[in-house]
Amino acid sequence: MSQVSGSANNTKRQSTFFTRFKKNYIGWIFILLSVLGIGLFYFYPMVQAFLLSLKSGMGANLEYVGFDNYARLFGDPTFITSLTNTFIYLLVQVPVMIILALFFSVLLNDPKLKFRGFFRTAIFLPAVTSLVAYAVIFKYLFGNDGLVNELLLGMNLIDTPLNWLSDPFLAKITIIIAITWRWTGYNMIFYLSALQNVDKSMYEAARIDGASSIQQFFFITIPMLKPIILFTSIVSTIGTLQLFDEVMNITNGGPGNSTLSISMYIYNLSFEYTPDFGYAATVSYVIVILVVILSFIQFRVAGDRD
Amino acid sequence: MGNKLSKKFWLLIVALLTAMVLAACGGDSEEGSSDADGGGDGGTTDDGATKITAWAWDPNFNIAALNLANESYNGETEIELEIIENAQDDIVQKLNTGLSSGTMKGMPNIVLIEDQRAQSFLQSYPDAFYPIGDYFNTEDFAEYKIPPTSLDGKQYGLPFDTGATGFFYRTDYLEEAGYTHDDLVDITWAQFVDIAKDVKEKTGHPMLALDPNDLGILRVMMQTTGTWYTTEDGTINLVDNEPLKVALQHYKELMDNDLVKLVSDWSQYLAAFNSGDVASVPAGNWIAPSIEAEESQKGLWAVAPTPRLDMEGAANASNQGGSSWYVLNIDGKEAAAEFLGNTFGSNSDFYQSLLTDVGAIGTYKPASEGEAYQYENEYFGGQQVIYEISQWMEEIPQVDYGMNTYGIEDILSAEIQQYLSGKSLEDVLADAQAQAEAQFK
Amino acid sequence: MPGTHLVENLKNLFATVDIGTALMNSFIIAIITTFLTLLIGSLAGYGFEIYRTKGKDMVFNILLLSMMIPFAAIMIPLYRFFGQVSSVSPLIGIDTLAAAILPTIITAFFIFFFRQNTKMFAKELVEAGRIDGLSELGIFFRIYLPTMKTTYAAAAIIAFMNSWNNYLWPLVVLQSPENQTIPLLISNLGAGYTPDYGVIMTAIVIATLPTAIVFFLMQRHFVAGMMGSVKG
Repeated sequence: MSQVSGSANNTKRQSTFFTRFKKNYIGWIFILLSVLGIGLFYFYPMVQAFLLSLKSGMGANLEYVGFDNYARLFGDPTFITSLTNTFIYLLVQVPVMIILALFFSVLLNDPKLKFRGFFRTAIFLPAVTSLVAYAVIFKYLFGNDGLVNELLLGMNLIDTPLNWLSDPFLAKITIIIAITWRWTGYNMIFYLSALQNVDKSMYEAARIDGASSIQQFFFITIPMLKPIILFTSIVSTIGTLQLFDEVMNITNGGPGNSTLSISMYIYNLSFEYTPDFGYAATVSYVIVILVVILSFIQFRVAGDRD
Repeated sequence: MGNKLSKKFWLLIVALLTAMVLAACGGDSEEGSSDADGGGDGGTTDDGATKITAWAWDPNFNIAALNLANESYNGETEIELEIIENAQDDIVQKLNTGLSSGTMKGMPNIVLIEDQRAQSFLQSYPDAFYPIGDYFNTEDFAEYKIPPTSLDGKQYGLPFDTGATGFFYRTDYLEEAGYTHDDLVDITWAQFVDIAKDVKEKTGHPMLALDPNDLGILRVMMQTTGTWYTTEDGTINLVDNEPLKVALQHYKELMDNDLVKLVSDWSQYLAAFNSGDVASVPAGNWIAPSIEAEESQKGLWAVAPTPRLDMEGAANASNQGGSSWYVLNIDGKEAAAEFLGNTFGSNSDFYQSLLTDVGAIGTYKPASEGEAYQYENEYFGGQQVIYEISQWMEEIPQVDYGMNTYGIEDILSAEIQQYLSGKSLEDVLADAQAQAEAQFK
Repeated sequence: MPGTHLVENLKNLFATVDIGTALMNSFIIAIITTFLTLLIGSLAGYGFEIYRTKGKDMVFNILLLSMMIPFAAIMIPLYRFFGQVSSVSPLIGIDTLAAAILPTIITAFFIFFFRQNTKMFAKELVEAGRIDGLSELGIFFRIYLPTMKTTYAAAAIIAFMNSWNNYLWPLVVLQSPENQTIPLLISNLGAGYTPDYGVIMTAIVIATLPTAIVFFLMQRHFVAGMMGSVKG
């Protein structure tokens, strides 16, 4: 070891040149495999999908139509419904979930808390539950004579059972509750693991200065976790824009398309109706464009430069 | 020094990983690849038999039927059948992905397709399916099965199970409301609604359970008159569709008068009658085993013909569900077609055991004269349920389901929501028509 | 009701489907996927952050694009690709576990995740490692990897879970019963005119346990303040 560290004693200029060269060259080696893999398994199919979006027709009978599919989007009421629904989910659900996940992770990070492992697992469990079970449970809870209605009736909050799954507005609420239930624990993991990388001494110093735990949360935890908060909000945005499982399994897009998401519409165009893969690819690219715009905004807001 | 060490370490990791991947995947694909070859490519096994694969769903029904067919097969070509089980939606996805990718790799020789989806597959992938009309006689099968399974005069599907519907009802509840079996035979849907009102008033039970996201009941009503959402040439037929209009009026009347128990999924639908909540189940005959699953209600059920819409030419018979077998245009197609023709296509005895062992009612007409069809079912008070269903089956009005049933229904169900909350029926149908025309031109 | 018929449900489950094979396949896929995902993803996430240059930032942003397309849109070209691979090398073609694994191990998601966590990694440690004469890969394996244990634990949970529950791609690319995975098996169980809900729920419990156990074991690494002590 001492032999090698001798080379670090060269003049400063040399070492800077050396590190800069190394930084570039070695860095590329670290990322090479990923660039190749993503190129092959994602970008190559993505280019194909884009070419497909310039065609239209049923199944294998595709014809080149240029950008007609993109024009068709604007006059397609089902697409517009699915877009509106997806944005409602996004605006309501993502902030609520991120805040809840942060709250739980800070709470469950307390080393003095007993049965931490149990509580963490309990909150994480919804994320691993099989979709089939998840759907059955939600339909049961939110059915007309389900537990939720019984509870609300019992507390005298409502007079007649609410149609959670067959009322257009309430069905959206049900979907939002379902997504939040399933994915809060998932996001909690990212925060929990990141919290371990926050230097404990910062909290001690703050405590000595007399900062309350709420102040510590806002002035230490949140700034320290900023990279991860950015990560989870982008990932959740993408996840919600591609929302499919919950809608498919709990409401099947109904009642009357009122819970239909963009991804579910893509599924319907490809598999449920007579397939039009060209138009389905076009709708997919709408998601790509939306995510690019939203992620750009999120990166900007988070000030990624630091 | 550290430099060298970590390089070795790195090499070791790479070597280890390569070994792991190769071991895991190689070991597996030795089994896997032989199947893939045999399956999609119709290869032959060591003893000279042609290997064919079949995709189907439902282990207790379609898969069991395939197994039975495999046992009773006695054709000239030696066949080794591999059955691959997948859920119906999964098969639809796999088939669409495979066929549209242009590679036939991994595709099966035989596949089961629901009748209402068949046209969309046949027309979307023109060269993917193999015409099998030469392997059986189409006249042996219920007429209503032929339009969905054929295209341009060529027969592609071998008709399998019937979705012939029945009006299953609780004898005790209906009696309490003042109705005998004869009062329920050959009625109209308008009468059905009136009976439902009586039942609700006298027994407190809702007449039937419905999932508001599933418009199956409208299709059942419509088909009694031989009409559909589209006409034979594919024109969208909503705005001037008199049967649909009447069906929707009945639907609204049932909903408005609280005669329906609303459910949100299949398990709740089953529970609605197994728990004794609802008084009747108007549905495809395949619902019978689920009714019979509740042993405590033995002898309390009976079945009457499906109500018809009150119109010229309507029949007291309709259909819900049902599928047929298709052969893909890949190596092994002749063997696959021969297998189907020899079993599902012509063997009346096979249909008897299909009924007794699996409980599946086929659409092969000569089979209904067989002994198994005469069985008197104690659960339904000794009624010859199967025989009656097979008679109704022959009367089901023919309908061309076309390509857009599910697409139109999604549009329609959004409009029906508004109809139930007060929008006029004319506007509902006109708006649905306009939307559907825009989407499926 | 669950509980009373558990034994009967288990018996029916094992009698009707080959859950052993499906469990085995899911385990093989999930373990290989988790291991490779973590290795490749963390190498890249580290590379992008520690050796940050304008060019690499650009590449990183482009890679992120791959997260944004719905998988359903690239599934058909991907299937065609593996169909072509099949004719060249059946060992990694359609209907092999390798084909189910390959497109899932290199994802922008984990590169992004590791990069964001690397931002919280004390970069002085890299300099310290260089002064001690470690190679760049040596620094990664000997300093970064042990320091970021909790990040790896979180990534392992997510990667295992994603792989264990992955549905769409295995569904289309795996055909023979020998290659079936757990989510496909459960989907089949619910697919009849008369589904047996007792058996389905029993299968679901069995299917949920492995991820829950992985989570429970991994979350023990999330202990506040551990990080400070691993300074190299």
